[in-house]
Amino acid sequence: MKNYYIGIDIGSISTKGVIIDDNSNILVSKYIWTEANPIKAVKDLLKDLKMGIPKDGQIKGIGTTGSARKLIGLMVDASIVKNEITAHAIGTLHYYPDVKTILEIGGQDSKIIIINNGIVSDYAMNTLCAAGTGAFLTSQAKRLGLSVEELGQMALSSKTPVKIAARCSVFAESDLIHKAQVGYNKEDIVAGLCRSVVINYLNNVGKGKRIEGPIVFQGGVSKNSGVVKYFKEILKQDIIVDENSHLMGAIGIALLAMQNKTSKTYDLNMIDIRFETKGFECQGCSNNCEILKIYRGQKLIDVWGNRCPKGLKEENMNI
Amino acid sequence: MDKLKIGIPRALNYYHYKDLWINFFKALDCDIIISPPTNKAIIKDGLKYANDEMCLSLKIYLGHVSYLKDRCDYILIPRIDNYGLSDQTCTNFLSLFDIVNNIFNVKILNYNIDYCHGENEISAFINMGKVLHKKRWDSIKAYQFASVKANKECKKKVLNSFHKLKSDQTKVLLIGHSYNLHDAYLGQSIIYLLESLGIEVIMSDGFDPKMTNKLASSLSPSLYFKYSKEAIGTIDIVRNNIDGIIFLTAFPCGPDSLVNELVFRKITLPYLNLVIDDIDSLTGIETRIESFVDIIEQKKQLIN
Repeated sequence: MKNYYIGIDIGSISTKGVIIDDNSNILVSKYIWTEANPIKAVKDLLKDLKMGIPKDGQIKGIGTTGSARKLIGLMVDASIVKNEITAHAIGTLHYYPDVKTILEIGGQDSKIIIINNGIVSDYAMNTLCAAGTGAFLTSQAKRLGLSVEELGQMALSSKTPVKIAARCSVFAESDLIHKAQVGYNKEDIVAGLCRSVVINYLNNVGKGKRIEGPIVFQGGVSKNSGVVKYFKEILKQDIIVDENSHLMGAIGIALLAMQNKTSKTYDLNMIDIRFETKGFECQGCSNNCEILKIYRGQKLIDVWGNRCPKGLKEENMNI
Repeated sequence: MDKLKIGIPRALNYYHYKDLWINFFKALDCDIIISPPTNKAIIKDGLKYANDEMCLSLKIYLGHVSYLKDRCDYILIPRIDNYGLSDQTCTNFLSLFDIVNNIFNVKILNYNIDYCHGENEISAFINMGKVLHKKRWDSIKAYQFASVKANKECKKKVLNSFHKLKSDQTKVLLIGHSYNLHDAYLGQSIIYLLESLGIEVIMSDGFDPKMTNKLASSLSPSLYFKYSKEAIGTIDIVRNNIDGIIFLTAFPCGPDSLVNELVFRKITLPYLNLVIDDIDSLTGIETRIESFVDIIEQKKQLIN
């Protein structure tokens, strides 16, 4: 029997999954939309991934990362659950051992990871604000009547990108509408939009960090060639975008699952088990914590969100 | 005659002066009522009174005042302008008295500090005593009693911090204003997260403020925010004993936005900047803290 490992990266917008073998080769990969339902997304994802496992293969580990890592980790009984910074760094270091800087722009998070001698030495993430992330690009594309996939190519055809306020997505949006109404070309507006994402990123997330090459750019937005172009132009350095740039988190967590082998063999039958969450407000005190109860089948397997033990009591669970 | 009941909001300057205030009123034979630790109901109430531009900590403060408004004879509201030219405070502390006076119809007991205009700590206490119809000499005695008690508490706190520094666990210095670090809703949930990851948390207000105030000059000789100086001065004491620093800021804090930026450029330790606003979900914060802990532990392993 051959051993395989699954890595799942459940982001706010998309869910990514890979299966790797003992030599870290990717056997299958899959990229689907989360559509605000991580449980369903992962079930669909695993159904697809399952087809790719050869008859003589067995799954010896599952890792989860991304913003829904805890929930899905519980659902698939993961052997490892890790945050996305570590997962991205491990995945990238596997392909680019001398990488110094990782730029990552995802659906609602953007981060910069600084690597020194093969370990993460510093990182930063966007703070409260999700300006300039994938979600912003998607909503602006819709406003312009385009699909988000078209933005990149269109931006490349522009020679004079318009200036769009980069600090805040609310201002950026009104700026964009004004520019459109004044009569600028769509290409130039789209190019301006891509450029504003880069400037926003460098001003917020990349602020004060020394961005040295080799630089790897990943996350969903790295598929946008317009954004890549402006990163190159503004940083005056080469930017590496791997063909699997959107899968790096999933690959990283799969590698971690491989490194932390378990004796357990996964049969992936959990995709047929009903898995449910119920939210309610705890009535134990005036904090009214929002508590999430997680059921596998009929069985309550975990409770989250309580800031004190009161949240675990049955009598406080009445909605 | 019934004893006078003094209400103290458990927010902002309460965390700086609680030992002084509480012991002063005890010595003057007053009853004290302190609002409960911040909870959602208090925050909700505070948001109702606050305007958008105020920082989260001030919004919470107004919630605490609102809790006390029908429960006591006087509410202690400080007005802290400066402790001298090079020890200024945030404008919120300067305006606190007027904000509360304008929003609430309550009897205010004002604790006024303005060294540049001759209003020092002892005069602030004497003036409070005057409002409560206490004799000047009684107030002075009560102040002295309170100072001794407060100094004792401070020493205890410092000993405890040094004890923590000797721990074998991974250690993180949490820098922030006392009223954020100790707030049940803000700082405490973050400290709980860190501790559940096996981190020893050392607080930036766990040392003698007089000492840290002076030490801050090694990071910036010209900084004049008193509370910020006291917080960042701690770095000098602990820098060889800790693995990383977390800056905790309540959005949108004026002094922090300047001071943190300044400190980032001058320290070599790994750091994390956490900005919090009125949040119900800790998921985003969890990710940031977990990743940060991963980094400092990897670094630690590499050195050993």
